[in-house]
Amino acid sequence: MNFPKPSVGMLPNDRLDYSAIVNRKPLKLPKGARMAVWTVTNVEEWDPTQTMPRTVLTPPAGGSPMPDIPNWCWHEYGNRVGFWRLLQVYDDFKIPGVMNINGSAVEAFPDLVKACVERNWEFVGHGFTQRNMQKVENEREDIRKSAQVLERVTGKRPRGWLGPGLTETWETPDILVEEGYDYVADWVLDDQPVWLKTRGKPILNMPYTQECNDVAMMLIQHHKASEFYERAMDQFEQIYKDAKGSARVMAISVHPYIMGAPHRAKYFRKIFEKIRKKRDVLFWTGAQIADWFVKTGPKPPQ
Amino acid sequence: MANPMIPRERADYSAIVDRPPLKLPGGARIVFWTIVNYEVWDIGKPMARQLLPAPTGVPLMPDVVHWAFHEYGMRVGCWRFFELFKRLGIRPTLAANARICEDYPRVAGQARDDGWEFMGHAYEQGPIHKEPDQAGMIMRTMDIMERFTGKRPAGWLGPGLTQTLETPDLLAAAGVKYIGDWVYDDEPTVIRTTKGPLVTLPYTIECNDIPVMIIQHHNSDYLLQLVKDQFDRLYAESDKRAKFCTLAIHPYISGQPHRIKYLEAIYDYVNEHEGVLHWNGAQILDWYLPIANAQTKAAE
Repeated sequence: MNFPKPSVGMLPNDRLDYSAIVNRKPLKLPKGARMAVWTVTNVEEWDPTQTMPRTVLTPPAGGSPMPDIPNWCWHEYGNRVGFWRLLQVYDDFKIPGVMNINGSAVEAFPDLVKACVERNWEFVGHGFTQRNMQKVENEREDIRKSAQVLERVTGKRPRGWLGPGLTETWETPDILVEEGYDYVADWVLDDQPVWLKTRGKPILNMPYTQECNDVAMMLIQHHKASEFYERAMDQFEQIYKDAKGSARVMAISVHPYIMGAPHRAKYFRKIFEKIRKKRDVLFWTGAQIADWFVKTGPKPPQ
Repeated sequence: MANPMIPRERADYSAIVDRPPLKLPGGARIVFWTIVNYEVWDIGKPMARQLLPAPTGVPLMPDVVHWAFHEYGMRVGCWRFFELFKRLGIRPTLAANARICEDYPRVAGQARDDGWEFMGHAYEQGPIHKEPDQAGMIMRTMDIMERFTGKRPAGWLGPGLTQTLETPDLLAAAGVKYIGDWVYDDEPTVIRTTKGPLVTLPYTIECNDIPVMIIQHHNSDYLLQLVKDQFDRLYAESDKRAKFCTLAIHPYISGQPHRIKYLEAIYDYVNEHEGVLHWNGAQILDWYLPIANAQTKAAE
């Protein structure tokens, strides 16, 4: 089917061909590992003068009056209190951390960034603010500024990018590669990394998740806190089984204001109590997965 | 008038792990703070919450079914609360629309006579953004409650926790000492207003039957599981620093026959633990104010 092409950028199928996972050359992880798990913590700064990106409480009689202090506070709790519960889990189970962080949050929450720099976490660009990429005035400027602030504060340029709410314009992958990013995680279309064509050199797409993600499970689908653990285990067991002949990647995505709440934290911890012991499972950052795939996976398209 | 402060100007970012621990008296570990919400839903206005979607999807006025849904809480449900808290010897905080003193004197009088703490919660239920005269409404709410109970309320909670940017300034001007609207921490904090410091107490929009039952549509027993999980975690953390476990309930939700036993079971569970104080907001404030004052002095 031929769809009308955008004037700038590309349609998804112009960036990559359809490919069935069963028909690919097997991927092999080092030391006989079957799969890699990367755990992503999302840190955002919510602008109190804008509509809140998500809400837990609606106002009486509906509508969305501004400012929305209760939901701003609910999010701020994650950065003041909740994050530190998640950090304990990463420390206890020696999980290398990955943080998707808004550029503006890097300077708003210095203690939090410092704790992760000390632990050598990977920082991933996540929009300068928590705003849909289609609504950002100058996309390139936003992507560039996000990298600059991370480089200034953490000492390293980010290699990965996740759009706020995974949003992209038709041009996002092109701009990302031009601005020096190595991978993007917006395309939740596979269990393995894949190459996306851009108008310059190709960019890697990392398997991310909207399913093993606390925003979807808790805020949209309104599941019990225990569902986070149960779904992660179901996801893990199936991917582990599927990865017998060819390596796969599993992502877990959390937000400090959701899984960092006291009544949810234990269900996050329980996942690692179960899966961290597995000898043939690697706990890697996005950058580690990217390096492995570039070295051993299929060559990027010309 | 200058622009009112945005939240970040009222409170700097502060990581809980960087603060010295708070200590409760007598070796207590944790405060369990119960907030009961009694409201007035004016039949002339859109109802605050909807349980049953209107047949065509468009809510029409008058919305008698949801007026009645709420009214059940004031006729029947709240008496289950009164009975429970009397039996347990708990004097909760009552976040009440001031209009309950006029429309439901029987209910408001029972809360007063049982020694509950009255907390300002607007004159009637609706987002504070829609108040044409917010300062006047706040003052009127405080005055009505003061006349009814003989004591000016120390605390305030916006309906649905709503605030405009200037609300904290207006509240401090009306004599409010603490607010529950800022659910951004596990501990009390002090924020800046144009009328001096104002305390925030750790209220909750998670352990709250509105989001759990009306917005997220969980089974009736889930409030029990959620509060157990919340309490367990906070209790474990309370070996190092004082913790606060807060529960907010509404008589038209948790006062329903099919839900009340799970509410009762929450208190059975919590009371199995050592070192739990059932304090209301005013009691937490009385303990916290000298600590906050000492911290301010030390910082000067």
